[in-house]
Amino acid sequence: MNEIPVIQRVIAILWPSFITAGIATIIFTTAFDPEIIFVDYDISRLGVYTISFFLFWLLGAVTAISTCFFLKPCSVTNRSANNDKEKV
Amino acid sequence: MSNSDNKLKVEDEVEQSLYAKRQKIYPREVHGLFAWLRTSGVMALLGFYYITPWLQWDERQMLLFDLPARKFYIFGMVFWPQDFFYLTLILIVAALSLFFFTALAGRLWCGYACPQTVWTEAFLWIERKIEGSRPQQMKLDKAPWGHRKLRLKVTKHFVWVIFSLFTGITFVGYFSSIRELTTSFFQFSMGPWETFWIFFYGFATYGNAGWLREQVCMYMCPYARFQSAMIDMDTLVISYDEMRGNPRGARKKSIDPKEAGLGDCIDCTICVQVCPTGIDIRDGLQYECIGCAACIDACDDVMDKMGYEKGLIKYTTENTMMGKKTHLLRPRIILYACILAAVTVGTFYSIYTRMPLAMDVIRDRNTLYRETNDGLIENVYMLKIMNMTNEPHSYSLSVTGIENLNMLLDVVDIEVDGGEIIELPLRIQVDPDTLEQRSTKLNFNLIATDADDLYVNEAARLIGPVPLN
Repeated sequence: MNEIPVIQRVIAILWPSFITAGIATIIFTTAFDPEIIFVDYDISRLGVYTISFFLFWLLGAVTAISTCFFLKPCSVTNRSANNDKEKV
Repeated sequence: MSNSDNKLKVEDEVEQSLYAKRQKIYPREVHGLFAWLRTSGVMALLGFYYITPWLQWDERQMLLFDLPARKFYIFGMVFWPQDFFYLTLILIVAALSLFFFTALAGRLWCGYACPQTVWTEAFLWIERKIEGSRPQQMKLDKAPWGHRKLRLKVTKHFVWVIFSLFTGITFVGYFSSIRELTTSFFQFSMGPWETFWIFFYGFATYGNAGWLREQVCMYMCPYARFQSAMIDMDTLVISYDEMRGNPRGARKKSIDPKEAGLGDCIDCTICVQVCPTGIDIRDGLQYECIGCAACIDACDDVMDKMGYEKGLIKYTTENTMMGKKTHLLRPRIILYACILAAVTVGTFYSIYTRMPLAMDVIRDRNTLYRETNDGLIENVYMLKIMNMTNEPHSYSLSVTGIENLNMLLDVVDIEVDGGEIIELPLRIQVDPDTLEQRSTKLNFNLIATDADDLYVNEAARLIGPVPLN
């Protein structure tokens, strides 16, 4: 895991989620007209597109972070706990 | 010092070196055929990008993806969310082209046409104009902060930011009229979302082309990782001729390399200095190589100066390198070319013959049917008529499927303005004796009365009582 540079880790979370957010926004805005859904709110279509894009991005990033977290080998968890003990 | 301490220290050092800050790459300026091709590509693509939104077609922006109005204007045609299908087709064409060109000559896209390459080239050009050549840039970065360094750095970033903002405005100008946008930009009266996207896109340009550069290709681009699936022994790739070049070594121009036991590579490392991703092409094909061919130009120049034959680094195939025959026209290429041509022709044909008129027929779901005082069966429908042209049209409607049906419309003429949708209630009355089943198919035909080539057919069902016989 440590062989992966920090920038690559950051990109691995932010970039795929960015792309899927773009695709999700396109599909969402093609299928639904925000003006009809959000008729009770004072927000323009462009505003809905923008907010939905960032919500999708956030969702995707959360998924990517969870994936990275669960990919961490279980042995690492034990090792770091043992290291802490040795330090004490 | 305990053993585990020692181990930790070693691990720390390894970690430090792996987390080491990336070395900035200063690509050396290069001249030659491929540099000329790339510069021409960059100029043409940037020109296309910055000029296109300003072009008009039928007194409307030629290319306008009007998101707020959910309409795309492309060369006088109007596309609606219902035309999503065409976007899918165009994406398939793009993917097939990528397969075709990669199989033919490697990463042509990356080297000449990718926005990342194009904007990085533009940013590098600005950087060179302000900070000078590669050695001057390196010297400047090593020098302590002083008046001159501060002045040059501030100037560079200022020009980059202005250029990025201009890029951002142009980008948003594809989605919202650029003429109105620039006017309101200079009057500080832009809408909040437009403002946001101008700065967001501008920031992305500044970050990607100014700072991230080759890291985008290395870490963000999926194409770099799976290119090997599209490349084979007959693909033209940029390669260093190891047989001819090795053993490498510096020498005087007057020396005959063969007598000195040297290959043609004089180990000047200029091919490494010009590389925008900082690799040594002499180590073989690497995934970082974006196929820009800067090393070919640089090496040819050196070979010329040494009086050697050009082409120590060149576009060549693996088969040629191994002394075998290269088949540029091979089943893979022919197959890709045929599918690409078929899908492209199909796409343009379907766009060309696209019917800019659509109708939805929705049966009123609240009541199955109604019996009138005259003993007729009545169904109610809602017609949704979309005129996807830019001009107003009037239409005539006919319904077939049941004999002697009555069609009751609230309006005399069906008229729809350009780019508008109207909803029309429609009642159909039939004699129950003509019904053979509970549900009968009806055909709704809508034809423009002022243009022969605008017509659409839709089917819907009429519900009646169960026939007695």
